[in-house]
Amino acid sequence: MSVPRLDAIVIGSGLEELVAAARLAGAGRRVVVLEPRDSVGGAAAGEQILPGFRMDPVYADAGFLDPRALGDLELDRHGVSLLTPDPFLAAPADRGDSLVLWRDLARSRASIARRSAGDADHWPGFAARMETFARVLEELAGRPPVRPGGPLLDLAPFLGLGRRIRGLGRERMTELFRVLPLPAHDLLEDEFRDPLLKGVLAAMSVRGVFQGPRSPGTALAFLHHHVGSPGGVFGIRTVVRGGVARLADALATAARARGVEIRLGASVERIACTNGRAAGVALASGEEIVSRVVVSGADPRRTLLDLAGTEALDPDFVHAVRQIRFRGGFARIHLALSEAPRFEGISEAVPGVIAIASDLEHVERAYDDAKHGRASELPVLEARIPSLADASLAPEGRHVMSVDVRFVPVGDRGQGDYAPDALADRVVELLAERAPTLPGTILERKVLMPADMEERYGWTNGDPYQGELALDQLLFMRPVPGWAGYRTPIPGLYLCGTGTHPAGAITGASGRHAANAVLEDLGGAR
Amino acid sequence: MTVQIPRTWDAIVIGGGHNGLVCAAYLARAGRKVLVLERRPLVGGAAVTEEVFPGFRFTVFSYVVSLLRPEIIRDLDLPAHGLNVVPLESTFNPLPDGDYLATWADPEETRRELYRHSPRDADAYVEFGRLMQRMAMAVKPILGISPPDPGSWRPKDLLAMGRLGKHFRDLGEKELHALVKLMTMSSADYLSEWFESEALKAAKSASGIIGTFLGPRSPGTAYVLLHHYMGEIDGVFRAWGFARGGTGAVSESIASAARSFGAEVRTDAAVERVLVEGDRAVGVVLGDGKELRAKTVVSGLDPRRTFLELVEPASLPEELVSAVERFRFRGSSGKVNLALSELPNFTALPGMGPHLKGAIAIAPSVDYLERAYDDAKRGEFSRRPFLDMVIPSMLDPTMAPPGKHVMSIFVQYAPYHRNGGWDDASREAFGDAVVDTLAEYAPNIRSAILHRQVITPADIEAVTGLSEGNIFGGELALSQLFFLRPSPAWSDHRTPLRGYYQCGSGTHPGGGIMGASGRLAANAVIADGTA
Repeated sequence: MSVPRLDAIVIGSGLEELVAAARLAGAGRRVVVLEPRDSVGGAAAGEQILPGFRMDPVYADAGFLDPRALGDLELDRHGVSLLTPDPFLAAPADRGDSLVLWRDLARSRASIARRSAGDADHWPGFAARMETFARVLEELAGRPPVRPGGPLLDLAPFLGLGRRIRGLGRERMTELFRVLPLPAHDLLEDEFRDPLLKGVLAAMSVRGVFQGPRSPGTALAFLHHHVGSPGGVFGIRTVVRGGVARLADALATAARARGVEIRLGASVERIACTNGRAAGVALASGEEIVSRVVVSGADPRRTLLDLAGTEALDPDFVHAVRQIRFRGGFARIHLALSEAPRFEGISEAVPGVIAIASDLEHVERAYDDAKHGRASELPVLEARIPSLADASLAPEGRHVMSVDVRFVPVGDRGQGDYAPDALADRVVELLAERAPTLPGTILERKVLMPADMEERYGWTNGDPYQGELALDQLLFMRPVPGWAGYRTPIPGLYLCGTGTHPAGAITGASGRHAANAVLEDLGGAR
Repeated sequence: MTVQIPRTWDAIVIGGGHNGLVCAAYLARAGRKVLVLERRPLVGGAAVTEEVFPGFRFTVFSYVVSLLRPEIIRDLDLPAHGLNVVPLESTFNPLPDGDYLATWADPEETRRELYRHSPRDADAYVEFGRLMQRMAMAVKPILGISPPDPGSWRPKDLLAMGRLGKHFRDLGEKELHALVKLMTMSSADYLSEWFESEALKAAKSASGIIGTFLGPRSPGTAYVLLHHYMGEIDGVFRAWGFARGGTGAVSESIASAARSFGAEVRTDAAVERVLVEGDRAVGVVLGDGKELRAKTVVSGLDPRRTFLELVEPASLPEELVSAVERFRFRGSSGKVNLALSELPNFTALPGMGPHLKGAIAIAPSVDYLERAYDDAKRGEFSRRPFLDMVIPSMLDPTMAPPGKHVMSIFVQYAPYHRNGGWDDASREAFGDAVVDTLAEYAPNIRSAILHRQVITPADIEAVTGLSEGNIFGGELALSQLFFLRPSPAWSDHRTPLRGYYQCGSGTHPGGGIMGASGRLAANAVIADGTA
């Protein structure tokens, strides 16, 4: 048998895949990236709603750009610049009132104080505590997951983390343990009185989970989304000027500069195994490509059950993969607007999130509807108008808006409640209650239902997290217990997507950890 | 006239619930002079048997036994004091389509029954039972130790943490993963990994929600499922059991054991507050103003009463006070006790049969249970609740007059924080919802009812003193277990006040008629040598 020319095939050109590819190439490995679509970036690839109106189909922000993963890729040289939306969160309230959170703590306090003086007093302490906890998760995200049942020596790097956690002091440390499995509902009820503040924070806590805020574990999801928030301000996420697509393009440029070949329109149909080892892939075109290893950014289920096939796998392992919960439940509506909408009670332009979540009950009920399989009567919305901070996204004076809709049950596309148009109509109607001029300014709209995301990106049930961010699907349990180290039972086959630790909204860490695992097995850099 | 000689006790235990009695019995057994003070005219707390209607005796609140620690039964020689537990041999769940799902004493019979619903599940059931048994074994040692303080650098705590780490590592990776799943998943998701039959998933997931303010799809309920398996492991009882004479007989047997070791158990003796001098508890003040002094005071009440009512919270560290203030109670269950002229006749399995001697549940589907929870989330009792029933008179004829029966119905959900609160009208409406639900499966029940006692969480609180009517003395939620029960650093049954201890279900390991909290508290008192 001939020696493969390639060291690694990377399936998909999403952010993690590009990070993995760039790192492998940086270590002197020959790498080809195979992207089924005709542009680089996978789900991060940009699109247009109308000519000149640019959108990021599913990403809302860059997530936490892990400096350890991205630091040496010199992304700024490749055109990536980051913006911090300010105010970062706003919520219109009844009677022309509102809640607006700013980078400037004092301004946030003043806004909260208009609704509850006690909450305003609590906010800085709460924000600081949550930030401390998010930093601990950040530390965890920066390392490959440890196997608590594995060899003792493997635990050694975690002594440092243990010290760090204990370094929080007893009170903070035990508070962290208490908070992690807590329902966001309880966490917020303990702290705040204003229903609106609790509602919008609860809306954050259900990103990536198909659970209502009363469910244990949603406090962890809440914290997860604050990993990497800029120091001193809790809750802000940075966005990429020009959209996340810019980040994908820059990563692609960086990868190519290191010698990675990126092939577009190359849809992988099968991962080929020889003697039980992944030895390459077969494309839909019939072409076969041979390589020493295969790194897949497709979700774990698709990778292992569809692409690799179950024949070679242990039935228990197959069972475990089948049990991964992909619940999706997230839809995105994109609007091209002739002018920026004005939300009642909010005088300033909000480039951050505009949340429609009036209280905890609202969020909980939206989940209850979906859990029983129907569209939420009153969906929870998080809208963004990124063109307010970044004029390059729309023609002059015009705007783009994207609306995240939570708890959209994964149904058959186009059926009844699940019809994209019905959902979009309902969402616009709800937004119009707070921004009456909005409907008349809509030039075009595009709806991405969970089923669309499944079809476009291959995500099981349209789950952008490639596996729910639930307590039992994190750390050493992700994607399946015992196989959290980016390797799979098939030698030579690796996973690198958000379906692996540290999961969604943390960019680059998974790709970096996966590349490290590959390099370790291939004998390091060359 | 005799002159009252002022006595001082080694230990006073506040509350004659089963944990208080267990604690008192262990202390007395170790030679301490112990006094138990119970507010009500009878001991038992939430484990009492009362003749509510003439001739009809009810296990008013709790209704079955399985968790009582075998070492306690042995140490206190409870069978000699009248403890006699009859196993509940079967489970019977009638279904809306007229079918039913049952499990029987004979595993082969159970297998055939499950096979009828799903051949795959019949096989998985055996494997599932084995795993749960192993998991219960894995957790069992935790029930017998006081949690270490994870924030402490004391050698004692570090050593205990090291031992725990080793214990879990020794389980092996596979078992450890299974345990993590059980600790973090929802019972519905967990059971879906095992079974396909909706009826079986629902029947099993029902035990994951008992006593919680969570639905079967809420993460964390798989642990409660496991909690209810812990009674099965020692071969003392098979699954659930019914104590002859009701759960009150369990309490009485422990009280009798305590007395045999020299403890005094006084009823109708309400404690108003704990006497504190400096940073030391030195006794109690009774409702009538009388002071009783003791070297040690042990509270068998829940954390809210122990720390916020019996003592002056201002004398406690703020960290503890705020932890207790945040501690969640949210009682979610009620009870309906029926005096019956005849046995219920279930459409799914008509007539008298062995199924009436076991546990009977109305839990037809996971969605049914989840909808019942939805009602509670919105501040209402479930219109179609989950019912968990036994007919004690089938196992112990002394519970009812000849030919008549008593039926004990545990009901979920009945939220303590009901919209508009609880009053007589809402209590009766709740009772009606229960009877209506049952009548759908056993239509003769309406005409068979001679008397009905309806107990809401507000009633549980009023009668037993359990805050917000939480039957576990505080939610058995992940954020309230082990060293977080009730508060870090004070989860070892001690308190910041010297000589003041806690032994109720709101301490580790808590929940159910287990007695472990009482025993661990007694160990702490004895180890400290304070009494």
